[in-house]
Amino acid sequence: MGHPEHGASVGIPGSRLPGPFPVGEYAAALRRRLRGFAHVQLSGELSGVRPARARVYFELRDARGAVPCSAWREDWERIQGRCGQPLLDGMEVIVAGGCDYYVGSASASPSFGFHVWNARPAGEGDLLARIERLRRALLAEGLGERQARLRRPVLPRTIGVVTGEAGKARDDVLAALRRRGWAGRLVWAFAPVQDRHAAPAIARALADLVAVGEVEVVVIARGGGSLVDLLAFCEESLCRTVALLPIPVIASVGHHSDRTVLDDVAAVSCSTPTHAAEAAVPLHCDEARSGLGEKARRLRLRSLQTVALRAGTLARQARAPIEHLERERRRLEQSSRELRATARRRGGDERERLARRALVLDRKARAGADDVSRRRALDALALALDAHDPERTLARGYALVQGPDGDLVTSAAAASDHERLDLRFHDGRIPVRRP
Amino acid sequence: MSEDGLTYEAASARIEEIIRRLDSGEAGLRETLELVAEGRRLIEFCAGELEAVGKGLQELRLDELLARLAASGATGELAAGSASPSCRCG
Repeated sequence: MGHPEHGASVGIPGSRLPGPFPVGEYAAALRRRLRGFAHVQLSGELSGVRPARARVYFELRDARGAVPCSAWREDWERIQGRCGQPLLDGMEVIVAGGCDYYVGSASASPSFGFHVWNARPAGEGDLLARIERLRRALLAEGLGERQARLRRPVLPRTIGVVTGEAGKARDDVLAALRRRGWAGRLVWAFAPVQDRHAAPAIARALADLVAVGEVEVVVIARGGGSLVDLLAFCEESLCRTVALLPIPVIASVGHHSDRTVLDDVAAVSCSTPTHAAEAAVPLHCDEARSGLGEKARRLRLRSLQTVALRAGTLARQARAPIEHLERERRRLEQSSRELRATARRRGGDERERLARRALVLDRKARAGADDVSRRRALDALALALDAHDPERTLARGYALVQGPDGDLVTSAAAASDHERLDLRFHDGRIPVRRP
Repeated sequence: MSEDGLTYEAASARIEEIIRRLDSGEAGLRETLELVAEGRRLIEFCAGELEAVGKGLQELRLDELLARLAASGATGELAAGSASPSCRCG
């Protein structure tokens, strides 16, 4: 843009910005600048496709933003012909083009837009890549585990079901619950399950089911479809809502080949609504009823058996003292018999031993008697000897006369032969000299 | 789930445990009587839970339920059982 024309309006006092420029001139410059931007391809979802007289207008959106687009009608029809299908709202597409700016006029409004001259529906590879990016992002945040950690009741009283009102999934859920023998409370939350309004409608239904209370588990059910049909269940805000829901969600929105992001954040992922209903009520109620009766019977039986067994034990224990006494009595009698026999044997032996001892004693006694008589004889002899003891005679006042050699002098004649004699009394001796 | 947090699965598992204990023959008379009494209470609880989902399918529409709740200005009516069912199936 050049300098302001000479004689043009004076700018704002004090402002150092260039201008003022005539707006048409600025708009044309802006268009030139925008058209100079690099031509690129964009991917996103078609929204608000609106054919006009010469052009077709629409928006290209994704979760993070949108760009207004337009194409010449001739180009648009040619594109659709080449694709073999109309390009409609909700479709994931790839467009080629560049920025443009309609400068407008005194009577026409200006507008910015991305001018599209080529397009094609996004292939499954494109969609899968986008889904995988979202899946990885959510799982990295730990949102794949929150639902799995929730307790799932085996016998919920109230189940919420989010599904299309006219879909076959509704009948499948009912049939499966009936086969389970479950006849509790079912809260239907009908919502679109495949167009671009599906994700926010389902998210609202989930929040409402939680708000109602008493809903213990939620089933999101729809029949199978192409991956494009299942894009609603790969929508980020819906997946985040499910991941953070405080009650378990059982998803059955996909099919065997394509796994939606919802399948990864839900508590359980099932391939069909039938399986989802069975997962919502893991217990087979009819079997549980009969099983409970059997348990009650077993409990009663065990109770009776235990009491009977205990009573038998007590009866045996009550009989036991009598039997014990009888056993002891018999044992005592046997012991007594053995004792008597032993005593008899020992008595015989003892008598024999005593007899032997008596014999020995008798012999000894007899020997003792002989000793006494001998003693008495000796005493008599001793008395006799004492009677002849010269010492006893001396004690009576007699004296012995002994010569110097100690020989007794028994006569006066013998005394005349010795000059010295000894007179021996009982208490000593006196020497005497013969005159 | 009961008010004290007892669940069907917990009650059912405890009943199995009680029966195994009684089957073992190791429980004395006093323990047996206590276990039988506990087992009977749990069986009654489980029977009540099964009866609650055996009286007939009650189908409600969330939009109608919310409208009724909004009109009554209260929540938790479903729990109180005051919300009338849209239809009741056998």
